[in-house]
Amino acid sequence: MEPVVELNNVSKSFKGFTLKDFSLTVRKGFVHGFIGGNGVGKSTTIKLIMNLLEPDRGEVSVFGLSYKDHEKEIKQRIGFVYDEFVFYEHLSLAEMKDIVKRAYKTWDDDLFYEYVNTFQLPLKKPMKTFSKGMMMKASLTIALSHHAELIIMDEPTSGLDPIFRRELLEVLRSLMEDGGKTIFFSTHITTDLDSIADYITFIHNGEHIFTKDLFEMNEDYALVKGELELLDEETEQEFIGIQRNSFGFVALTDHKERVEDVFGDTVLIEEPSLEDIMFYTKKGAADYVQLNS
Amino acid sequence: MFNLIRKDIVMQKKTLAILALALCVYLALGVSSIWVGLIFSIVMITNTFSLDEKSNVHMLLNSLPYTRKQIVSSKYVVAVLFTLLVALALFVGNLVFHGEITLWKHLLIMMILVFIAASFILPFSYQYKSQYLFVASIVAFGAYMLLVNTLIPNLNDLIREKVYIILTTTTPSLYVGMVVLVGCLYGFSWIVSIRIYEKKVF
Repeated sequence: MEPVVELNNVSKSFKGFTLKDFSLTVRKGFVHGFIGGNGVGKSTTIKLIMNLLEPDRGEVSVFGLSYKDHEKEIKQRIGFVYDEFVFYEHLSLAEMKDIVKRAYKTWDDDLFYEYVNTFQLPLKKPMKTFSKGMMMKASLTIALSHHAELIIMDEPTSGLDPIFRRELLEVLRSLMEDGGKTIFFSTHITTDLDSIADYITFIHNGEHIFTKDLFEMNEDYALVKGELELLDEETEQEFIGIQRNSFGFVALTDHKERVEDVFGDTVLIEEPSLEDIMFYTKKGAADYVQLNS
Repeated sequence: MFNLIRKDIVMQKKTLAILALALCVYLALGVSSIWVGLIFSIVMITNTFSLDEKSNVHMLLNSLPYTRKQIVSSKYVVAVLFTLLVALALFVGNLVFHGEITLWKHLLIMMILVFIAASFILPFSYQYKSQYLFVASIVAFGAYMLLVNTLIPNLNDLIREKVYIILTTTTPSLYVGMVVLVGCLYGFSWIVSIRIYEKKVF
């Protein structure tokens, strides 16, 4: 499978934050979700992919090309949506379109108006009067109107109402039906990904925790519930993260079959949500740090 | 890059119309052309710059298929175009209001002063933000006053005298020299701004 985005051992340091030896591959034709809490490096990674930041070390390539020699060529093929307001506040959507369209060789006015109609966006109102949801729709309309091969979105669903979140996912799904397109988007609302993502990358404190396909995750991961007596030094090794309370324990494992063999009927095994996976992985990492420091 | 230049001009449409009106008023009142031209050109250049600083527009521009070099260069070209436009407006305005042909020397001095100012304003704005220009100009004014009050008490007279010499001289080589010198300064500033902008984090 052809990689569209490749980050190889990329490091980037800021005051109080470091992205460490981060590697990531986004494959062509798939929806790739990028999850992690607030301030763990999701936006930094997206900015590195967009060449808004240069890595201190490591390589970034998009469509197999490097930004150093092919910056314009790469950006012609990307559609982007940011969490922040990046447009001229006093301009209307129609005026903003006139500025952006000239930058792209493949801009399609018909497609633009199609999205404007779908999202019922006002063309003449200054964009500063747009609500968060309208702003996101406008960003998406601009991002999708030049037949981009790669759509990169930073937290597109944050702060949106559930109805629009569904609408957005629907648009993304229909976009993928045409084939050949790739979507990479970050979110901390993991339920968005359950229905649409093919691959998931989890980042925590600037470190790549895992990249897995969603099917594989459902096969491997399990949420295990049982009594505290079942836990000892040996059995605890089976889990990524454990939460104890007076009733028993809840833990996450990434080798479901083995846990089924070890514990048999003594525990309750459930399918974890992405949120569970994030929570216990984070908890496991924190406990590990506590134990070893 | 043409699109970036076009964008800056189109976005200043309304400001241009208001400034054109104000320019007429100043000319009708008989304020010095050099002074009016200098102020108007600098206002237009800094206004173009501050529009891009609002609400993360630099993130947008850098995500579109433009290089950082193009984004900076477009501003330097736009600054030249705006200054030429102001010079043209002054020429036409003086002709209409006073029925006189503006001396080319006056227009040239005005443009030279604008380019000297822009050579400092643009890299400063790329390094910091144009909103700090006001603070910087107050500091610069303070430094100038300190200089006048302590080291060179007759600095104002000296400048006035030099400007008078430049305006009355008939040696073309002096003008050519000034144009080349200011051209070099502007070019150097252009390169410095590109360097600053290429290292910028968004």
